[in-house]
Amino acid sequence: MAAHRMNGLFGNDLGGIAATWVAAAATVAVWSYLVGARTVFRLTQYLLAGLATGYLALLAIDEILVPRLISPLLDDPAGHVALIPAAALVAIMVAAAWLPGRITAPVTGMLVGGIAALALGGAVLGTLLPQIAAAILPAGTARTSILEAVAGIGITVLVVLSFTHGSTTGRLSRRATVVGRWLLVGGIGGWLGFLLVSRLALLVDRLDFLLGDWLGLLR
Amino acid sequence: MSENPRSDRRAPANAALRQAAPVLALLVLLALASLVPSDLAGAALRIASADRTRAGGMDAAFARLPERALVLVAFDADLGTYAETRPVVRAAIADLRARGARLAIVSFTAEGRALAVAELLRLRRLGAGSDEIADLGFAGAAEAGLIGAISGIVPRAAEGSIAEAIRSRGADLDAFALVLVVSGGDLSVRSWVEQVLPRVPDLPIVAIAPTFLEPELAPYLRTGQLHALLATVPEGLAYVDGVPAADRSRAATVGAMPMLLGLLVALGVMAQSLLAPLMRRSRPDRWRRIG
Repeated sequence: MAAHRMNGLFGNDLGGIAATWVAAAATVAVWSYLVGARTVFRLTQYLLAGLATGYLALLAIDEILVPRLISPLLDDPAGHVALIPAAALVAIMVAAAWLPGRITAPVTGMLVGGIAALALGGAVLGTLLPQIAAAILPAGTARTSILEAVAGIGITVLVVLSFTHGSTTGRLSRRATVVGRWLLVGGIGGWLGFLLVSRLALLVDRLDFLLGDWLGLLR
Repeated sequence: MSENPRSDRRAPANAALRQAAPVLALLVLLALASLVPSDLAGAALRIASADRTRAGGMDAAFARLPERALVLVAFDADLGTYAETRPVVRAAIADLRARGARLAIVSFTAEGRALAVAELLRLRRLGAGSDEIADLGFAGAAEAGLIGAISGIVPRAAEGSIAEAIRSRGADLDAFALVLVVSGGDLSVRSWVEQVLPRVPDLPIVAIAPTFLEPELAPYLRTGQLHALLATVPEGLAYVDGVPAADRSRAATVGAMPMLLGLLVALGVMAQSLLAPLMRRSRPDRWRRIG
């Protein structure tokens, strides 16, 4: 066993050694899919799903429900009246499987509606409006910025045309569609280059973990 | 009926092994490349990036911090992509500590919390005290939790000088001189820009993100909503290279030799897939399909 921990996430104590062995076994189990050991791979999937669910439940109870809902209500109910409906909503969601739909549906609706409102409001205020504002060129803009804007509009139009899938008529628009499609392919290709480097880094990191942290072959 | 049942049973396993042979060969090749001693590989080969534009942005954001600044580290990385950003995150934390910043770590996702706990334990093992780093725990509820954190981010149980310093400044996000978002896919820095910035417009936000988030986040850098962003491996390398306090040993970064070999294999596969249709004259229509 390696005394030198490469990724630094585990210590050199017994717990760290056990964690390294479990992580190495899980990595090898996932890679077993490559040689057709699908049962082992499926087991690791179930293990991940189970652990993730259990961990999330533990976090929710230990760091949210108890300290922020139950404890304040038990300690000082009069000072936390607003938490009483919150506790009722949590109770309804927990018991959703046994309650009739006309009770759970409004609670679910509130939850989904609240999330949607947050996402929509944030997208408009935080992304759409600032991006529109940044895209508007002020008077006296440098010539290079104007050229950039024209190039941006041109590329956008051509790429949008590429999605017309043969519905365009006329020689010019068909050629514009082809150019747009190649621009799209070029853009995605360039982007895949970056992704390739990042995914390769992930694979090499896992190999380094097995060779260094687990087998102790790297120094 | 087969004459040899044992060979019949082995046939599917052999077929799977044959199918997996190229990938297994790649793994063996990368493993052998990883085993090349770092001083031997390092003499001829070193991973680096010449473009320091974005790394300079992160440096500038950190340089603007006042003495003993309170910095919030929103740790919401993914388990799947954290290995990519881990050297950069560690270099940024080392950089902030070297500049005397006081760090408070909080998470809004379960995966982020698991990784934050692991990093906190690592930092404690390295000797970081409670006057340097505070754990603000798991805020949960994703975007709703983010909005809740605007007005109150310190849990009641949090103790220590940093927690007290945040409380004395209102216990809200205004208490911080900077927010460093360690972004993942579940709750990216986009949520910070969309949910927090409209409510706390003067809050400087910098981010470290995995590569797949770069196209989504780059526009926020151009509009100035993000003060700095490191979202690709080259940007991260450029930044780590410029941090004196960063650990640049073999143990901290990805090896140059396996990366080079992996990229050469990928280039070979791409070249083969591009040239194969040219070789096969029998199906010349393949090239026209894309047009």
